Formats: sequence, C-alpha cells, structure tokens
Amino acid sequence: MNAVNIEKLSFSWAGQKPTLDIPAWQVKQGEAVLLRGPSGSGKSTLLSLLAGINTPEQGRLDLFDTAFSSLSGRQRDRYRADNIGYIFQQFNLLPYLSALENALLACQFSKKRRQRLAEQGTSAEATALEMLKRLGLSSEQIQQQAHTLSVGQQQRVAAARALLGAPKLLIADEPTSALDAEHRDTFIQLLLELSSQNNTTVIFVTHDAALSSYFDKHVELNELNQAGAKP
Amino acid sequence: MIRLAMKSLLNRRASVLLTVIAIAVSVTLLLAVERVRDQVQSHFANTVSGTDLIIGARTGQTQLLLSSVFHIGSMTNNMSWESFADISSRPEVSWAVPISLGDSVQGLPVVATTNAYFEHFKYADKQPLEFSQGQPFASDKDVVLGADAAEKLSKALGDDIIIAHGSGGISFSEHDEHPLTVTGVLQRTGTPVDQAVLVTLHSLEMIHSGGAGHDEEHNHNHEHEHNDAHADEHEHHGEAPAESISAALLGLKAKPLALRLQRQINTYDKEPLTALLPGMTLQQLWKTLRVFEQALTAISAMVVLIGLLGMLTIMLASLRERRREMAVLRAVGAGPGTIFGLLLSEALLLTVVGAFSGLLLLYGLQWSLAGVIQSQTGLIFTSSWPSISEWWRIVLVIGAGFMLSLIPAWRAYRQSLADGLTVKI
Repeated sequence: MNAVNIEKLSFSWAGQKPTLDIPAWQVKQGEAVLLRGPSGSGKSTLLSLLAGINTPEQGRLDLFDTAFSSLSGRQRDRYRADNIGYIFQQFNLLPYLSALENALLACQFSKKRRQRLAEQGTSAEATALEMLKRLGLSSEQIQQQAHTLSVGQQQRVAAARALLGAPKLLIADEPTSALDAEHRDTFIQLLLELSSQNNTTVIFVTHDAALSSYFDKHVELNELNQAGAKP
Repeated sequence: MIRLAMKSLLNRRASVLLTVIAIAVSVTLLLAVERVRDQVQSHFANTVSGTDLIIGARTGQTQLLLSSVFHIGSMTNNMSWESFADISSRPEVSWAVPISLGDSVQGLPVVATTNAYFEHFKYADKQPLEFSQGQPFASDKDVVLGADAAEKLSKALGDDIIIAHGSGGISFSEHDEHPLTVTGVLQRTGTPVDQAVLVTLHSLEMIHSGGAGHDEEHNHNHEHEHNDAHADEHEHHGEAPAESISAALLGLKAKPLALRLQRQINTYDKEPLTALLPGMTLQQLWKTLRVFEQALTAISAMVVLIGLLGMLTIMLASLRERRREMAVLRAVGAGPGTIFGLLLSEALLLTVVGAFSGLLLLYGLQWSLAGVIQSQTGLIFTSSWPSISEWWRIVLVIGAGFMLSLIPAWRAYRQSLADGLTVKI
C-alpha cells in the first residue's frame, strides 16, 4: 500500500503563481524517504498539504487508504492528530509544559493514539517515559520545563511526541538543522529506529546531503515539482 | 484544555497578575458602590422606627428629618412649646417626645428631651433604647450618654459633665456653675443615638439662660414674640420645661391618621410648622440621591470596562508571541476551533478569577475598614453574603469579559488558519 499517493496535484497561494505542480508521487508504507529541496522549491507548501493544513486546488492527495484531500478541515485535523507525527526545525515544545507533558501532548489530542497504546498493553505515560529515557533524557530532565532543555534535548522530546501512539506517518521538517554533527547522527538513528518499530512511514526533509545514507529513498523536490518548469 | 490554558497563563504570570488585579479592583468598586448605598439606606431606615410623624418649625422635610433624627445639619427655627403642647394633646396622638438640638460637647450632639424619649424612641425593628448602666433622668441635673459618647468623653456613671452652649464645644466659665451628672449610659444601637449626650429640656434652658450665647440671642427674641401671641394658652398648660423646642417625634394611635394629621400640621394656623412621615421623607431623599448613585455606578462600570479592555490588550498583544505555541498545537492535531476555545477559556479564567478576587477584596476591605467607617460615620457594615443583585453584577462582568474575549479568540483562530504549521515571524 502507498503511504502517500499524489496525482496531478497543484497548489498556489492566493493570487500567486502555482508553487506546486506534482504530476505523480508515491511513497510506500514503511519507507523512510529523504526529501531534498532548497528553499523556494515549494517544500513548506508540500508539507502543509501533507499535514492537512491546506488542501490542493487540483488533483488528489491520498494518505494510506484515505482520500485525504477531500476531507473537511475538521476531519483533516482529526486525521493529523491520530495518524501524523510532525517535527519542526526548532521550537517544537510548549515552553511552559514539562518534557513529559510535551511528549504526551499528541496523545492528549488523540483517543486513537491512546487506544493503540492500550492495545499494546501499555499507557501513554509509561511509553513516553520509556521513549524519553531511550532518547537519552535523565529522569530529572523529563520533569523539567521544556525551555530549560538544550536544543538537542528539545528535538528528542519532539520526536517522542511525534511517534508516541504509533502514527502511520512521520513528517520531519529539517529537525536536525539546529544540531551539531554528532547529535544529528544519533538523533536520526534513534528516530528511524523508533519509526521502524512502529511501522511508521517517514518523510524527512533536509538539504543536508550527508544524511542520505540513512534513508531508503532520496527524492529531489525540484524533480517532482513541475511548477516553474513550464513557461 | 482548561489545564493547558492555566499553564499557559502561569507562564505569563506577570501580565496575567496585573490583569487580574485590574479586574479585581474594578469589580470591588462596582460592588462597593451598591453595598455602601444599601448599608447607608438600611442604616438610615434603622435609625427611626415606630415614629409616625416628626414635627418642627417650617422648613424642608429632609432638613427636619436629618437634623432631628440624624443630627446632621441644624435647625434655623424652633417651634413653640405651645404648639407642641397643643398638637400632642390631640386625641389621635398617643405619645409625643420633644427634642431640642443645637448644642454640642466635644463635637457630640446634645439632645435635650424628656424621659418620654427613652420610653418611645425606637430604632431598627421597633427596638427600644436600653440602659447598659444607670437609668433615665431623675432630676434636671442628670445626663444620659449614648454608648459612643460615653466612650469618647470617657465618662462613667456619677461623673460630672459640663455642657457648652453653641456648637463650638467651648466651655464658658458660667457653665461651670451648672455641672451635670451622668446617671445613665445607653446600650449601643448602631444609630446616631450612640453619639448623643442626652439632657433634660429644662437643664438646657438653664444653660442657655446662664450662658447667654450670642448667636442664640436673636432666636430667643423671636420666640418671645410667639409667647406673647399665645400668652393665654401658655397659662393653661401650666409650667413648660422650655419656651421652644427644635422638633418633636409623635406616635399615633392609628397609622392611617398620620397623613391627615400631617396635612393639619402643615396648615397649622398659629405657627408655620412642618410635619413629615419619616419613611416617606427617606424615600424622597433616596430619590434625590439616586442620580448620584447612578453616576457612581456608571463610573464604576466604566472602570470595569477599562479593566476588561486591559485584559483584551494583553491578550491581543500576546497573540503575536504565541504563534509558535499555536503552530505546535496545530501540529499535534488541534483544529483552529480548539485554538479559539483555548483563548476563550483563558479569558474566562482571567475574568472569573478577577471577579472573585474582587469579591474577596471587597470583604477584606469591609472587614478591615469596618471599625474606621463606624467611628467616622456611625455606619455599621454587616458582612452578609453577596446579594442577588451583586451576583448579577458579577455575572455581567464575566459575561462582558466573555464577549470581549471573542475578539482575541477570533484573531487567534484566523491567525492559526493562516499560519498553519509555518510561522513566518
């Protein structure tokens, strides 16, 4: 099954030239895909479509067996809460919550995620604690307010939050750009390890060519996106 | 969501605290205006009870009421003893208490009257005056003190007291010849009686004749004219304890007679007099004061609005800084509706906490200032539960806060729709 299926998709921001025009793109379930795109290539737009914040003007975007692009805004929000993990470049956490509370945030918004954990015979909190420990946070750091953590630690908490409750799709938007090389490598290794355990499909956006060895597949957004190619 | 809102607010505690304080103070003000009005009204209404008519020389009804019962302001004219004797001997009058005012001891009003005062004057719910020590007048040298007066003058039973003529509280040497003796102290009533120094009409007359106060001289001459005019009646009534009195409290055998007697007294042909029904005159007084009270309420409502606008300002200003927060919430699946609800519950929390802090502040102030207010104004503040109309005011404030918070909530909704997950700052 395809995790992502795009056909004849196009999108333009109000009153502007099309920023995205993708004739076809598929991502297989369970794959880890590295998506490379320089700024201005329509990367943010594609991610906002994949996350369901915006909908394509034309064409279709399916996620797994769901016709994602034809859902209502509310349904897309729900689908995102249940099935999509999202990691930002930076500032992923609510500064006034503890690391643990931040990690639990996605499960708070999704009953499905909690159910999946319950089916595995565990709770969101227990899994979050275990995951954060595995990601290298000490017991004290887990209880600390998010803004007291280092950038690397914050990104790891964000990864735990995104993956807690086994979402089907993980979208990571340059999550390592604020990390140094050493932290970057361990972060990606852990992220991919946790994803494959949950059979989560990963779309990892970066412009760092050094990371390509970690991924099954590399995609250049410029090759996908025909917007601007046509006269 | 409420938990999230609370934590988010705690994170911005400095500005949140200021907002809550602003709302609290404004709510206190709003409630205090009404509470003071209510307390003043019940205080005034409690001061006189069981008295059907108050009569005095021709003057404004409010002035007569204020000076005779509340010892506020002074009477310019007196009514003659003959008129008093004539009216009080009417068949429909069950009792009459003459009072003479205008003097003071160290700022405390001297009330010259007869023992009928202790028998018939009632306050609150027709409660009679009670003696905590001693007894009513036995002779013209006796003085009865109100509870506060005894305290302020630090006089007890058996102590001598010197009454000055006039309101200045200066003791002329002549008065030293007429020292009076405290023979009774009244129990506290929470009315102006507590402040009063009560003497007999006759002893006041003696003080005046001996004291020869300059400003009273004119009055005396004035009354002599009346005395001449009714010389023959004077003889009929025998010995009068005073030539004239300031006012008289009347009790009637039947309440419905009051209106008729009032009309008769107001058209009394031997002397221009005024008669009033205490309850009705108080009502008129409240009507006059309602404009001021409404103005105060309007002002305090404005202050509440300013407090709420302060909250609005802070919330709108914070929206910009909180775009990241919104984006994170949207990423974990919060819809724009959830963001809307979050902002709404934050504002609601602020207003509710603010309003109830205001209520607490009101009780705090009332509790801590009750003593000062009582000694300065004689007003006794009873700490009762908030009244229904006070609850209504609180509900209105919270409602207004809710309506105003729709603005930042809507802005946040629009903003989170536009920003989505990408925040361009």
